[in-house]
Amino acid sequence: MIDRLRRILRVARWETVRAGGGVDRRTLLAALALLLVAGGVLGGGLAAGVVGLDVDRDVYRVAVDGDSPYADAVEEAPALTPVPVDGAVLGETADLVVFDGGQSGTVETVAVRASDTRKGEAAAAEFREAVEAHNERLMAAEENRTAAFPVTVTLQYVGRTSGLDDGSTLGGSDGGDGSESDGSGSDDGSGNNGSESDGSGSGGGSDGGSTEGDGGSTEGDGGSTEGDGGSTEGDSGGPSGDDAASEDEDDGGFAVPSVGGGTFGADTVGSPGSISPPFPFVSLLLAFVFLVPMNFLIQAYGSSVLDERTNRRGEPLLVTPLSPVDIVAGKTLPYVAVAALVTTLIAVAVGGGALSVIAVLPVALTFLAATFVGAMFARSFKELTFVTVGVSVLLTTYAFVPAIFTNVTPVALVSPLTLVVFDLQGEAVGVGEVLFSTGPMTIGAALLFGLGLGVYREEDMFAQKPVGRKFLDALAVRLRSVGNAGSDSGRSRRERLRALASVAVLTACTIPFVFVAELLAVALLFALPVTVSIPVLLVTIAFIEELAKSVHLYAGFERGAFARTDRVAVAVGSASAVGFFLAEKATAVVQAVGLTELYVGRAAFGSVAGLEGLPPLAIAGLFFAPLLLHGFATTVAAVGASRSRTYYVLTLALATLIHAAYNFGVVRLYA
Amino acid sequence: MIEVEGLRKTYGEFAAVVDSTFSVEAGEVFGIVGPNGAGKTTTLKVLAGLVDPTDGEVEVAGFASDDPEMRRQLGFLPEESPLYEEMTPLSYLRFFADLYDVPREAANERIETALDRLELDHRERRLGDMSKGMKRKVAIARSLVNDPDVLVYDEPASGLDPVTTNSVLEFTRELRETGKTVVFSAHNLYHVESVCDRVAVMNEGRIVARGSVDGIRERHGETTYRVFTDVAPDTDRLAEVVEGLDAATEEVGDRFRTTVPTMDAVEAVREAAAAAGGEVVDIRTREPSLEDVFLDIVGRQMPGRYTGGGAAVDGSDDGDAEPSGDATRATEPPEGAE
Repeated sequence: MIDRLRRILRVARWETVRAGGGVDRRTLLAALALLLVAGGVLGGGLAAGVVGLDVDRDVYRVAVDGDSPYADAVEEAPALTPVPVDGAVLGETADLVVFDGGQSGTVETVAVRASDTRKGEAAAAEFREAVEAHNERLMAAEENRTAAFPVTVTLQYVGRTSGLDDGSTLGGSDGGDGSESDGSGSDDGSGNNGSESDGSGSGGGSDGGSTEGDGGSTEGDGGSTEGDGGSTEGDSGGPSGDDAASEDEDDGGFAVPSVGGGTFGADTVGSPGSISPPFPFVSLLLAFVFLVPMNFLIQAYGSSVLDERTNRRGEPLLVTPLSPVDIVAGKTLPYVAVAALVTTLIAVAVGGGALSVIAVLPVALTFLAATFVGAMFARSFKELTFVTVGVSVLLTTYAFVPAIFTNVTPVALVSPLTLVVFDLQGEAVGVGEVLFSTGPMTIGAALLFGLGLGVYREEDMFAQKPVGRKFLDALAVRLRSVGNAGSDSGRSRRERLRALASVAVLTACTIPFVFVAELLAVALLFALPVTVSIPVLLVTIAFIEELAKSVHLYAGFERGAFARTDRVAVAVGSASAVGFFLAEKATAVVQAVGLTELYVGRAAFGSVAGLEGLPPLAIAGLFFAPLLLHGFATTVAAVGASRSRTYYVLTLALATLIHAAYNFGVVRLYA
Repeated sequence: MIEVEGLRKTYGEFAAVVDSTFSVEAGEVFGIVGPNGAGKTTTLKVLAGLVDPTDGEVEVAGFASDDPEMRRQLGFLPEESPLYEEMTPLSYLRFFADLYDVPREAANERIETALDRLELDHRERRLGDMSKGMKRKVAIARSLVNDPDVLVYDEPASGLDPVTTNSVLEFTRELRETGKTVVFSAHNLYHVESVCDRVAVMNEGRIVARGSVDGIRERHGETTYRVFTDVAPDTDRLAEVVEGLDAATEEVGDRFRTTVPTMDAVEAVREAAAAAGGEVVDIRTREPSLEDVFLDIVGRQMPGRYTGGGAAVDGSDDGDAEPSGDATRATEPPEGAE
């Protein structure tokens, strides 16, 4: 073992020397200097608050008299630029004009006129926010804090499902909360801004169920809001949350999310398709910095792996006592070390902690693993470029997009980058959430390395085949022969079962990828209106799962591992279904972070969660129904795979439709 | 030292090697010859543990070919030997010695010895800056860093200039003297003939002849006699003496050369020359080269002749090998198959 480790380290050292030797020193120094300068400028700018982050600085021109009490508010708001009132032309030299309205009793009045454009509306909204912020600062400066901030506290105990704020989930379980707090908000009808007829209605709920009607008007008496975005009644919570998407919107089944809850009390309701989430902009930007070095790292790593395959350069290594695992481990180790080092440095630089490093390392591993597979499949450096770009785009999307919703929804935890954002925001995160965020990527990375290692042998490594064929080779190499005359003759029953078990195991290994793909689908479709996202999601998930269950069966038939008979197709299809059925139960982990409290989350993972409350027989039926579905659908695809590629494509589509129909049925049942 | 029994390697429908059986004794230099696509390289890769056989038993130095321990006893030189060009010969060879757990001092000694014997200078020069011949020598030295008992060389002198070729062949002969077992393949039959104790002739995945070079030559080659006379022999007289003799006579300078296959025919030529008023002035014997034998064996084989039957020709005392199996060979081998 020690000898083996020593040899791996020897390969790692050699790889380090090679990687270093492959780049001209001057180029390396120049790149390093450039990086340092860019980093210095950006870091200095960030520290001084003058670079990058104030992207909305000086956006709106506000004409305001210097003596006006609102002048300070405008002055202090970064997005507003004060311009003289005299000579100001609305829509040309100013987006908003603040007139002194004179004295009305003891109150000084003000008239605000905005240009009749979207920018004018936005300027008005920004102005209101600036005034509110200014007032709050004034209040904060008061010595008598109690007088400045009179507070009424209502205690309410709810189960904590994630590190997110209360009301950060959608769905029926939170509906009660929404209706309750909403009711109070509605009853008092305070609609604290409702008195301001600004054309942008907002209802007053404090904890959800409140709505924002774009361009509508607010009626303070009932907390209901009318607007072109639809009306929402805050008092109808929970049950309707399980209904169809349109009903969710109509009935306010979504119990929160408490987003955009700014100074004007603009708590909003709906899917991200209809709300503007509060981007944790700074944290998100800093979290993104962690991903940047990965793109450089995978270029070097991919080139190194492909270089071994070019002109059979790596062949002598294959006849040494090192196994392919040792070779790949040794070659990968330096890049993992660099990733860890760079991640740690970035974490220190941006104020992150160990959590950031723990969160980013699985991402780095996945970057490297996907690149390794790509480099093992690519036929040329040109093809490798497409692979690395593809890897970069896909993984960056997967890591970055969900993290945008860090403060909104548990969907964000799909991405490890969300943990970084939490870390940078100084929020606590549970172990379960860390495992949920990092687990799929870590396991996925391991399996990707396993996939690539399958073709890290002389017979496949140096052969020039299209990526698709290489992929099939990599899958087929993990399968045992089933039904072939030569291999099956004289086989014991146990050996035959073992061959089928290899099918089931390979299917089970796809689960992390299925999980990641489905999470990505949830994360991406979450941003669409529910009426669109749910049907698309159900079909997408059906396709992902059917593909995962059958693509290696197609590889087995194509590469001659399986005899092309219906009997074998049924056998391997059933084995694959069993493997998938058992392995998908592992996805019950989604409950750990409350993902199934989301409607789309429940649609995606409903088969493993949310069975509570149903009769035992129904639970048993629902528990085993997926097995029947998988068995039937996969067998259909397997029979097609045993015929030809065309048949496989057709039967895969058929299996997807069957699966999607089943998914719709399940969703209706839950609803 | 090497035992191969019923080796069979298929790539899908294509059979690269079909029922190969041979053995190599310790200290022997064994050659595998054959045209492109005959299955030579695949056979060597199976011996080196690079390719898993589809069927059959392969044992090298007492280990199965898929046993990792076997690799410690083996030095392999692939047909192509691209090296890590940013390294120097010394760093490259030390790296491989390290992978074989060779102690640094022993490694240095072996490397120096090998490079001295191969007459390779410029040991600190980047490999990328070296000539093909020099790189080949470094690759050969690499195959020796673990002091293996068995060496498997695939076309060791392929593409090298004559001087380097002779150097490599001479080095191979020296390896035999140091007790190494060497198996190597070659296109150039002269290389095989000049180095090997025994050979196997492969064609279309099968061994079609094997044994000692002399044994094969005796069986397949024909010794010919060139009889030089001062007059053209009387061909009618020749035909009378040796029935059916088809002796061609060529005028070479001021003499006439008649090539005949037997000593009886030589006597006939002498009589024919005497009948024409002349006499024999010189007689020379010409032994068949392995190339002649190769052409005799392979050149006569029509594609598919050895598929699924047909006896292999054995020039040794081992007895005839009887190829069997039903694999068919496609017209073109797939990638990865030789």
